[in-house]
Amino acid sequence: MEIAIKTEQLSRTFKSYQKPEGLLNSIKGFWNRQYTEKVALAPTSFEIEKGKIVGLVGGNGAGKTTLLKLLSGLIHPTSGTAQVLGFKPWERKPEFLRQMSILLGQKNQLWWDIAPLDSFAMLAEIYDLDKAKAKTKVSELAELLDCSHVLQTQLRRLSLGERMKMELIGSLLHEPKILFLDEPTIGLDIVAQTVIRKFIGDYVKEKGPTVILTSHYMDDIAKLSDQLFLISQGQFVYQGTVQGFVSKSQMQQKIHFALAEKLNQDLVLKSSHPEGISLKAGQQEFIISVDQENIPQLMTQITQLSGLSQLRIEEADFEEVIHQFMEAESRLRKTRHSN
Amino acid sequence: MCTALIEVTLWMAVFAAAKTELIGGFPKESYLAYAIWAAFMARISVSWMYEFRMIEEIDSGSINHLLVRPFTFFEYYLSQMMGYKLVTTLFSLIVPFAVSTAFDLPTDATKLPIVLLLVFYYLILVHILSLIVASIAFHLNRVHSMTVAKNLGLWLLSGELVPLDLIPSPYKETLLALPFCNAVYIPVGYITGRLGIEQVYAGFASITWSILIFGALSVVMWRWGIRKYVGTGA
Repeated sequence: MEIAIKTEQLSRTFKSYQKPEGLLNSIKGFWNRQYTEKVALAPTSFEIEKGKIVGLVGGNGAGKTTLLKLLSGLIHPTSGTAQVLGFKPWERKPEFLRQMSILLGQKNQLWWDIAPLDSFAMLAEIYDLDKAKAKTKVSELAELLDCSHVLQTQLRRLSLGERMKMELIGSLLHEPKILFLDEPTIGLDIVAQTVIRKFIGDYVKEKGPTVILTSHYMDDIAKLSDQLFLISQGQFVYQGTVQGFVSKSQMQQKIHFALAEKLNQDLVLKSSHPEGISLKAGQQEFIISVDQENIPQLMTQITQLSGLSQLRIEEADFEEVIHQFMEAESRLRKTRHSN
Repeated sequence: MCTALIEVTLWMAVFAAAKTELIGGFPKESYLAYAIWAAFMARISVSWMYEFRMIEEIDSGSINHLLVRPFTFFEYYLSQMMGYKLVTTLFSLIVPFAVSTAFDLPTDATKLPIVLLLVFYYLILVHILSLIVASIAFHLNRVHSMTVAKNLGLWLLSGELVPLDLIPSPYKETLLALPFCNAVYIPVGYITGRLGIEQVYAGFASITWSILIFGALSVVMWRWGIRKYVGTGA
């Protein structure tokens, strides 16, 4: 097992100046500054194996982008250390930068005023790539992303989806061994999201880079990630698989069942709840939400019902679980702020 | 061109009022040639646009896309500035050359290559100063005003306004000891016949030590800034 990324007690605190209102207070601020500190990332240790895709999930301000900025060398840590492909990222050694790529979904990284083809030619020079091979690579990637027709159009004139495709090509041109994708599908319509998601999945399967992916679209995470890191208020609260997280959650599952005929009298199914689960007379189809622990007991009772025609259990949805988690986190944050 | 015209008019008025053939040992034509070439050299040896862009990149956080590439911020902008200055020089050189030839002003074209080499070498120092100013943008906003102040200072020290040999001692010696006279006074003085080649060599030397000193300062400023950088806006 080869480790691509390793952090030890890596943390970052941001210090910001609290500027009071008005000119006089601004002048006073020169000698009497009020600062506040915010822990964007609490001391964090983890390891990521080579070739894995890690989904990094958390609410706004949870510390996802800070972690990516640290691992890509954009910012220095307040404490702790990290090794990415054996390099300290913030030393920004050219050998490290040649093997790494970061795509910030909310920022353009290609040159705004020139056509993507020119940007790619410039990137080929910057990364010392063979010009002919780089051209072929651009054509291949553009074909896969179905965007060959816009390669010669000024970047500023492209739609958001087209721009994102260009950014992806720019990020992958030098075949990085480490890829940080921060919200690669943000603001895109469903079709573009699907195309980009599929492209990333196929690319990773073929080339095998180590990827850290953040996204507010849980489909991106659920479909692409081998591992899930859940981050809240700068702290890692879960490291494992997506499935592991869903099954660990307290989220209720749903049992759907139907009878051949309408129920002729009220019925109570026994569960851990003292009152049980009541089924009303006159109904034919039922959906009941239950805790995982009650499923075996309830399933035994349901399968014994006469005229049972349909039965299925709906797994808790990852998006719903995350949604519930984030709501809880948001409430917690508000409580802390008000205290 | 406007500056050159004003200076030419000024020198003609000075000579007319002084009712003399020589000022500081040089005739009117020498000053007119100086005024024409000084305006040209001063435009070449100053960096406004790229310094503004460097500050803007740091201020807005768009520097992120440069920091993750295998080159330095310094060399990225140095190459852009040098490319731009080279093209500008080649095109705008025609104007002072044509004016000097048309009015038979003292200009030795064979001296131009070494003079342009000196100015382009000086541009490395200018770019280092730009990096120092831009690095302040890691700590403060509205750093553009410092560019204005710095460039105004460099303009006064460069000798564009008046040939530095007219300035009384000890200010003259002080100004000549600084590297900033290599922007205008030394190159223009050499091609118009006021100065000898030894001053050009001394110019190369003064730029070299300045690059070392300001280069070291720029490294300190940059490292200090980048440690504080918060990856704005991403």
